Amino acid sequence: MLSTIALDTQVIKPGLCTGCGACQGMCPYWDSVEGRTLCYFDCERKSGRCQSFCPRMPMDLDALRKKFFPEDTIIPEIGPFRGLYLTRAADPAIRAKAQHGGTMTALVELAIQEGFIDAAVMTRSQGGLEPEGVLATTAEEVRACSGSSFQVPPTLAVLNKALKEDRYHSIGVVGTPCKTLAVYKMKSKPLAENDNHADNIGMVFGLFCGWGLDWEGIRDLTARHADPEKVSHMDIPPSKYHSLELRENGETVSVNLDEVTPLVRSGCRYCTDMTAEFADLSVGGARSADGWDVDKGWNQVIVRSEKGMQLLELAREKGILEFKDTPETGLDKLKGASMGKKRTGVKNLRQLTGSEDDLGYLNPSAELFKDL
Amino acid sequence: MTANAPGQVCLMQGNEAIVRGALEAGINFAASYPGSPSSQVLGMLGKVARERNFYAEWSTNETCAMEACIGASLANARSLCIVKQNGLLFAADAIHCGAQHGVKGGMVIVTSDDPSAHSSTNEFDSRYQAMSANIPMLEPTSMQETKDMVPYAFELSERTHQMVIIRLTTRVCHGRGNVVLGELPEKPHQMKQVGEWDRMVCVSYLRSAMLQKMDMLRQEFENCPYNHYAGPDHPKELIVAGGTGRLYGQEAIRRLGVGDRVGLLSLGTIWPLPEAYILRHLEGVEKVLTLEEVDPVLERNLQAIAGSHQMQITFSGREDGALPKIGELDPDNVAQAISLLTGAKLPEKKIASQEPLIERELTFCAGCPHRATFHILKKVLRQEKHPGAVIGDIGCYIMSGQAAGQYAFQACNCMGSGINLAEALGQLTHYGLDQKVVTVCGDSTFFHTILPGLVNATYHNANMLLMVLDNSATAMTGFQPHPATGITAMGDQVPPMDIQKVVEGIGCKAEVADPFDVKETEKTIRRLLNTPGMNVLIMRQPCATLMTKKKKRPVKVYVDQNMCLGDGCGCDKYCSRVWGCPGNTWDFKNNKAYIDPVTCVGCGVCAKLCPSGAIKVEGGEEA
Repeated sequence: MLSTIALDTQVIKPGLCTGCGACQGMCPYWDSVEGRTLCYFDCERKSGRCQSFCPRMPMDLDALRKKFFPEDTIIPEIGPFRGLYLTRAADPAIRAKAQHGGTMTALVELAIQEGFIDAAVMTRSQGGLEPEGVLATTAEEVRACSGSSFQVPPTLAVLNKALKEDRYHSIGVVGTPCKTLAVYKMKSKPLAENDNHADNIGMVFGLFCGWGLDWEGIRDLTARHADPEKVSHMDIPPSKYHSLELRENGETVSVNLDEVTPLVRSGCRYCTDMTAEFADLSVGGARSADGWDVDKGWNQVIVRSEKGMQLLELAREKGILEFKDTPETGLDKLKGASMGKKRTGVKNLRQLTGSEDDLGYLNPSAELFKDL
Repeated sequence: MTANAPGQVCLMQGNEAIVRGALEAGINFAASYPGSPSSQVLGMLGKVARERNFYAEWSTNETCAMEACIGASLANARSLCIVKQNGLLFAADAIHCGAQHGVKGGMVIVTSDDPSAHSSTNEFDSRYQAMSANIPMLEPTSMQETKDMVPYAFELSERTHQMVIIRLTTRVCHGRGNVVLGELPEKPHQMKQVGEWDRMVCVSYLRSAMLQKMDMLRQEFENCPYNHYAGPDHPKELIVAGGTGRLYGQEAIRRLGVGDRVGLLSLGTIWPLPEAYILRHLEGVEKVLTLEEVDPVLERNLQAIAGSHQMQITFSGREDGALPKIGELDPDNVAQAISLLTGAKLPEKKIASQEPLIERELTFCAGCPHRATFHILKKVLRQEKHPGAVIGDIGCYIMSGQAAGQYAFQACNCMGSGINLAEALGQLTHYGLDQKVVTVCGDSTFFHTILPGLVNATYHNANMLLMVLDNSATAMTGFQPHPATGITAMGDQVPPMDIQKVVEGIGCKAEVADPFDVKETEKTIRRLLNTPGMNVLIMRQPCATLMTKKKKRPVKVYVDQNMCLGDGCGCDKYCSRVWGCPGNTWDFKNNKAYIDPVTCVGCGVCAKLCPSGAIKVEGGEEA
């Protein structure tokens, strides 16, 4: 089957597309508008990079992670694991604009300064609406990417373009689980004859993710509750609050989550990765069992690789990050949340395929999900 | 063409023969809207009009042309209207009314049908119009007949006070043959002031007068010099031919060697049919084969005549499948049908080559702005949440329905219909149809029939976008002038009409974009698609063929093969495979893109699309 048709029929039409942009930036065919992945014209290639990079095309995930991570570091619930930490940026200026503790911004900035990477593909959230992928090479550019967005821009299109240009040789990538999975697919060089300079990929920084939202849906929702121009931040507090919080002119506007959940991107319903298991390290908001306020403004960090550990230790050494003791229950709580997402994703996939035994794009990795 | 040399033999195309016939008839007035295969006629008339002291115009549409000719007739002028089959249908109301009130000065309509639809969307048969409107119709076979029939038709028209239609077909229009010239009159036909009590008014009670004229004409056609019979005195097998059928018939009879037993009756008077003349030739005949272009009109009428006289004859032709129901006659299918009729063995045919021809779709010329327009339009529509609805129209851009235009449209009806089909969809968007609606038309079509539709859609504020593909030409039929060109058929310079101002004049928003400015135009179309109400975008870029005529040295566009990544690029031959300009080819030796310098006209759009920046543009020179 032609690549463009394969992606259209197996990923886009069934509603599996994550909008990550892994298929884009390499050819004139694929593009994205407001989070919708689209194909302008059919390409006649049978094995295109687009379909081999797509995180929703079938792939043996266990084989892929064993290729990059020592087997003994892999924990079934959250993937490769070398340590869990509670951190936040030491610089209050970073924290002021951060989603939670500014750990990611501080780490990426440090990684560029210390030569771990020479550029970083990131998402500029722009207060949560109309985000876009950018290639950041300076501290200012990295800082401009602070904060999250629930709209999903095709950030990996920026990565693909940067790799193709071959100007930077150790590019860091910051992304949600679907994006970092795609990056590891790229790193595995599925097409020997054209790897799109995959060796230029430096470090991978994963972001914890629950789901993304429909681009137009969240735009309209925001406009119903606030002036979109004045919204500077969006966040989902712990589930007991059952709300989406918009920060408008410094004031918090709370939106009932019931208005938000119907807007979850179809592709996110079939995701089984909350903690970005394919990454050197993964960062998310800290969620204390003792309440929202206890760890508010802190991040939890899963270190997954040696390189990730080196960077984190350097950040500790240089005082870039502040550390706080991780409560003993922290890891279990995280595992529980991660398994919750896996269960939901697998359930939804079974519903989509109409068969208990058919997990769609996860079929080659069925072993990982057999107990769910 | 204007030589007064009676008796001189000239090689002429059928279209030229019409012109010569018109000059010999001393016409005063000629009007037409271009339509293949008879587009050349008015162009030639326009060139000699001043010299021969008559008026010729490229009218805005066929109804304008037809009604103007009727008007000229009121002043006893001889008027000639030239249309193709669709044009005749477009002016159907005018000819039906005209036939009922009749004419004063001779009026002749030349209609050209296009069997096999070489340059049409259809194979409509004009003969039904003659039958329906009660207008006499002639159909010539040779170039000589074509020329001679014009003055004959004018005389007939004046004698019967009825307009006369001459039906041509593509092969007659474009075929060549010897024509013996007749005399050119010193002056055009004598006009007369319109008298106070002169009347050409369509009223119902004139119907009986019209029918009386038909009876008169039927009598007249019993002895018409354009009906011939050749063959044995009492054949058992008779071929009845109209138009080109006669020539194909003659050839096939020779090839099959059946001239001594088969009769060939050729009818130049297609409507009304000379019934007594036909009956005489049907006497004693057992089998009849009818050779005619398009529908079995003659065949059915012959059956009716024979049937009403209780004749036992077997008829064959297009209706019973002896000849194909679609497509034009040709020497082979006619020979086969005559072989079937007579049992004569079909002589073996020498086949020139066993090599099958490569199938190729029609496509836009190299450098055609339409290619860019539809490339951009497809991209913009793919960016929309739901697929858009695109309605086509008639002009070169009808090819956008194929690969050349990325299979642009879902519907295309007749000329000028696009705006109206789209208007309906645009209105339905207020009732739950969640889709962007786009229609396209050319600059000539805009004036032809889009305008009333635009008034309608604007007045009713349809949610849609009309893209006027303004290439400053009536390109499909051969660059005839239209109201925005600033020139007339007779070569006069006149103030050109500005389409943007015309649109704004009816209170509709109109913007202009350049299809070659790919990025900017993409944004403009996207913005207009998302602007509620009636929107017009004029895509302005002259026809590539016009541009090549004007340029001394065109821009040079070439592929820097060091930069082209060939198969290593993700583009999968985007320039030659998707963009698809005939100038963009593939160098299979080097496995890189290549631009054929002979075909390329230097529009440079492919250079803007190449993802590797491998296509280079070097500046040209204006003439």
